[in-house]
Amino acid sequence: MNSLNAMFPLLTLIVGALLVLILEVSIKRENKTYLAFISIIFLMICGFFCVQSWGKDFSYFNNHLYLDNFALFFSIVLIITTILVTLISMKYLSLQNTNVGEYYALLLLALSGMLIMVSSSDLIVIFLGLEVLSMSSYTLAGLKRDDQKSSEAALKYFLLGSFASAFLVYGLALLYGVSNSTSIAVIIDHFKTESSLSFMAFAGLGLVIVGFGFKIAVVPFHMWTPDVYQGAPTPITAFFSIGPKAVGFAVLVRLLYPFWHVAYDSEVIFSLLWIISALTMIIGNLIALRQTNIKRMLAYSSIAHAGYLMVAILSQDTSSLMFYFVVYLFMNIGAFAAVIALGKKDKEYLELDDYAGIGFKYPWIGATFAVFLFSLAGFPPTGGFLAKFYVFSAAVREGLVSLVIIGVLASLVSVYYYLRIIVYMYMREPTHEVDINLENPALFLVLFLCLYGVLQLGIFPGNILLIIKQAVSSIAFL
Amino acid sequence: MAHFLFFLLAIVCIGAVVAMIFSKNQAYNALFIILLFVCLAGLFGLLNAPFIAVIQIIVYAGGIMVLFLFVIMMIDLQEGIPPERKRWTIGLSFLIAGVLIIELLFALKGFLFPAQAATAGSPGSPTDLGRLLFTKYLYPFEITSVLIIVALVGAMILVKKKDSD
Repeated sequence: MNSLNAMFPLLTLIVGALLVLILEVSIKRENKTYLAFISIIFLMICGFFCVQSWGKDFSYFNNHLYLDNFALFFSIVLIITTILVTLISMKYLSLQNTNVGEYYALLLLALSGMLIMVSSSDLIVIFLGLEVLSMSSYTLAGLKRDDQKSSEAALKYFLLGSFASAFLVYGLALLYGVSNSTSIAVIIDHFKTESSLSFMAFAGLGLVIVGFGFKIAVVPFHMWTPDVYQGAPTPITAFFSIGPKAVGFAVLVRLLYPFWHVAYDSEVIFSLLWIISALTMIIGNLIALRQTNIKRMLAYSSIAHAGYLMVAILSQDTSSLMFYFVVYLFMNIGAFAAVIALGKKDKEYLELDDYAGIGFKYPWIGATFAVFLFSLAGFPPTGGFLAKFYVFSAAVREGLVSLVIIGVLASLVSVYYYLRIIVYMYMREPTHEVDINLENPALFLVLFLCLYGVLQLGIFPGNILLIIKQAVSSIAFL
Repeated sequence: MAHFLFFLLAIVCIGAVVAMIFSKNQAYNALFIILLFVCLAGLFGLLNAPFIAVIQIIVYAGGIMVLFLFVIMMIDLQEGIPPERKRWTIGLSFLIAGVLIIELLFALKGFLFPAQAATAGSPGSPTDLGRLLFTKYLYPFEITSVLIIVALVGAMILVKKKDSD
């Protein structure tokens, strides 16, 4: 195997994106669905290359590109996310007047940015990957150009994203100044040789964490999330709630796990993250209680979930973090798919009142949505329950009992707003007519796949746990 | 000769900054900054860093200042800051100026009493830089090409006319 082979997943995505761009220009067709199929084919090829490199631990370009199982696991999770998002976008784009073919190319490019980030442990490469991801995300958020909210979302995301990048670059520069290297392993090794963490190193590490804090949307860096999630096209919101978060956490794992073993001074960073995690769980869930717009509510719910994932980071248990992500992928995309299903030409039903009586009028959408909401709230036998259970039990093993108590209480609070939707769907009389466009086979496929994923992970999680175990054991902190 | 050039460039630099501060016309301000950047580039050239000098001109004098000029052209700045906000801005400028003076004092201290020789590498000759970019940093370098494509495509989608209209 040479370095070209190691780059195949990335190259596939970029070639796919360029092909979509060229076809969009050269074939003028009103129906853009064929572009979605092309990008799905490329995504599957990319996934095939990732699966093929499983267990081989490629490392190329002076360790700038490092394909361990951990990177591949996250890559595959992200590829699945993108496939599902592409499927739910197909009908949505023409219904909601967002009919641009470049959409699929930008999705592929955003994914390539994420793959760059997860398969490297060099901060420069991670930063470049982040910029590729961010640039395409800003555009995707603003794609509904007739909609003021969408433009606002794009601008807000752009400004705060640039802000976050600035933090990250500043932190990176300080870390480089301390250790004379941008590789995470060398930086951490340098920390080990010093008797105590210098102020510069501390500030650098802090700024890098702040930069990623914006990307994974933890309190107090979450302010942009609700507006961006509400304004962006709904499939893109689903994408934002999983993709950037997954890569943010993957990078934090690579950065922080070796750092915990630097004996001195890591307590300060640890307690800062502890506070962030507790605040994120509490504030995310409490504000979600007051939301009546479904997309805003799911935005706050995704903030709260970032808090639970932070618990997994603090308890140094990578496998529970990864399991949580797999479950979160299915339940969150499922929930957003159900929200997208409730729409017709130029109209989306996003207010809580619109959901009254949906459960009986559209039993399939209502029932699957209910399952996803139960899973997000963490009821057995869904995957959401097991995911929370693994995270919290790992935290208890590490002695983070007070954090777990906060987490459990916060997720009890969350039950209220998840169940409120179900109550509306099944126990309220509809106040106005809601008619939706049901000719959307791709969307129903996604609903079914996500339902299967959530239940499979909740009842028979064995296979995926085995894969996660292989992935965790392979993390080498190069 | 080098000393003469240094003092010439330094005086023009300071003159450009002073002129920029006291000039009332925003377009002249921008032009004075361009003059400043060109002189700074000359100073870098004197310090044996031709690459940084060129970058200074291309990126700052070329790219960023043109952007500034566009902003000045599109936004009407003639009326100035309203008086109730003026006090606030002046306070903030004093604060930032104070921080800058402290930084300058630190720099002066480092210059007068050098603690250790700065461990600077090669001062960035284009050859060294190019060699590094195509060997050690090949992968990040290639990623920037993806980044540029994304930025271009994104900008074009957001500003192009809609087909349906």
